[in-house]
Amino acid sequence: MTFGFGLGLRTQHYNDFLAAPQPVEWLEVISDNYMVDGGKPLAMLDQIRVNYPMVMHGVSMSIGAINGLDKDYLRKLKALEQRIEPLWVSDHLCWTGVHGRNMHDLLPLPYTLEALQVVKRNVEQAQEVLQRPLVLENVSSYVEFKTSEMTEWEFLTEVCQATGCELLLDINNIFVSAFNHGFSPASFIGGVPIDSVKQFHLAGHQNNGDHLIDTHDHSVCNDVWNLYRQALMHFGYVPTMIERDDRIPPLAELLSELDRARDIANDVLNSKIAV
Amino acid sequence: MNLEDLQTNFQHILLDAECIDAGWVRESTRGLSSQDRLGIYHNAYRIRLIDVLLDTFEHTAVYLGDDWFHQLATAYVQSYHSTYTNIGLYGREFPRFLAEQLADDKEVSELALMDWKLRRAFDGADSTVMIHDDLQHLATAESGSIRLQPVPTLSISTQHFNTLDIWHAINQDQQPPVVERMAQPIDILIWRKGHSPHFRSLAKIESAAIALVCSGDTLEVIGAALEHDFPDVDVATEFGVMLHRWLDDEIISIPPQNVDVDARPSVQ
Repeated sequence: MTFGFGLGLRTQHYNDFLAAPQPVEWLEVISDNYMVDGGKPLAMLDQIRVNYPMVMHGVSMSIGAINGLDKDYLRKLKALEQRIEPLWVSDHLCWTGVHGRNMHDLLPLPYTLEALQVVKRNVEQAQEVLQRPLVLENVSSYVEFKTSEMTEWEFLTEVCQATGCELLLDINNIFVSAFNHGFSPASFIGGVPIDSVKQFHLAGHQNNGDHLIDTHDHSVCNDVWNLYRQALMHFGYVPTMIERDDRIPPLAELLSELDRARDIANDVLNSKIAV
Repeated sequence: MNLEDLQTNFQHILLDAECIDAGWVRESTRGLSSQDRLGIYHNAYRIRLIDVLLDTFEHTAVYLGDDWFHQLATAYVQSYHSTYTNIGLYGREFPRFLAEQLADDKEVSELALMDWKLRRAFDGADSTVMIHDDLQHLATAESGSIRLQPVPTLSISTQHFNTLDIWHAINQDQQPPVVERMAQPIDILIWRKGHSPHFRSLAKIESAAIALVCSGDTLEVIGAALEHDFPDVDVATEFGVMLHRWLDDEIISIPPQNVDVDARPSVQ
């Protein structure tokens, strides 16, 4: 089944989506922004959902936290899932805090056998509540750990194979982490199971010369477009979206960027068919 | 180092005022040192939480000015850890923190509390509001058994200064008035009507009546209490006026089990 190309729904674009049909096949919503008691956020979500399929993308599940998952968070996530019936539900391979504290950041994990067991346990708990496979996204990172025993893509592969969860590959995050840690982005793309990849994110970052910061406040750069091209050649068609979280431009600008993703996908996939 | 120790240590580095290096981070041969890499997370933690405070306490930030607000927000972030998965709740203690830090400028904490309550009303729980037609049901019931239910976003806060005027001036991009302590404190009603948070000041008798409604007292008890506390007022007439205004303002809701009419207006 194909789902086409999507955008992250942002409050700045509510009126655009309510006023007229927009050329996107689906919308991704930040789950946490709608896990509220009521008011305008949920009312807008319900109205826009009528005309667009949605996927849910969370930032606070903390799937790698040693303390386990927050049951109240899972309960609210499930309620939202039942409300909007998304195509799939994703979060990040990371942890956001331990011992009752929340750092509100996507903190990296050491890729150890112990962390693997923790993530497997937590993914299974989330999937038990959601009654569907969880989709996990790779995060951008700025540190690596001496204790790591495998690569990030080996770790993700193990999690997928053990739990049946799926992957949201953020092409920008692969590029950022590869630059910051000196690994080959092609190794990452070639290292995860093809059948597990459910979605691509495309986003921008900030280049600080000797390191990259995953800011999601710029347009997609040429290096990331090139990596997207490589990913399409390897995985074939994968539902793709532009993710912008800050300095949100007018919708037309994001739609134009999404058209570029469409053009690249058509070009690459038609070339594959011709070959 | 096991995962629990690593996550505990990593979190300590983010929470501590100064970012230190850690022996468990792999030293890279390229780019930044391990301490600078940890510093990215250390800084991001503070920037993110201060941004949330700026967003939540918009009028307070304007009133204090960028530098002073940033200084106080930084001190708050260092003193209060977030225990919320919803980052929007992080500022819950900020008004109280400002009251402690700025003991001689209490209008600041009143302004912050108003910002906070308006923001919480924005995405507070929905309910089905009572409309004027429902008064017919009330008229046929015994006042000893009737209880009104406030909408879930309703709250009252008391202000001792001309904070309301300051809020209005900031909201209209005007110079705030000089702060003044009022002869009598006033109660401010805050709630959400439609999609928009609302507020207005309350007369003493209306504030008392709403407090009794919120306590779950019956109309009979409320009437008796108001007659006792406001002996010079025609309570029956005054209560009727207040009730009509409450329905216009949509601050009274109907318990879900009592909703028997289709297409009722809903507070969202």
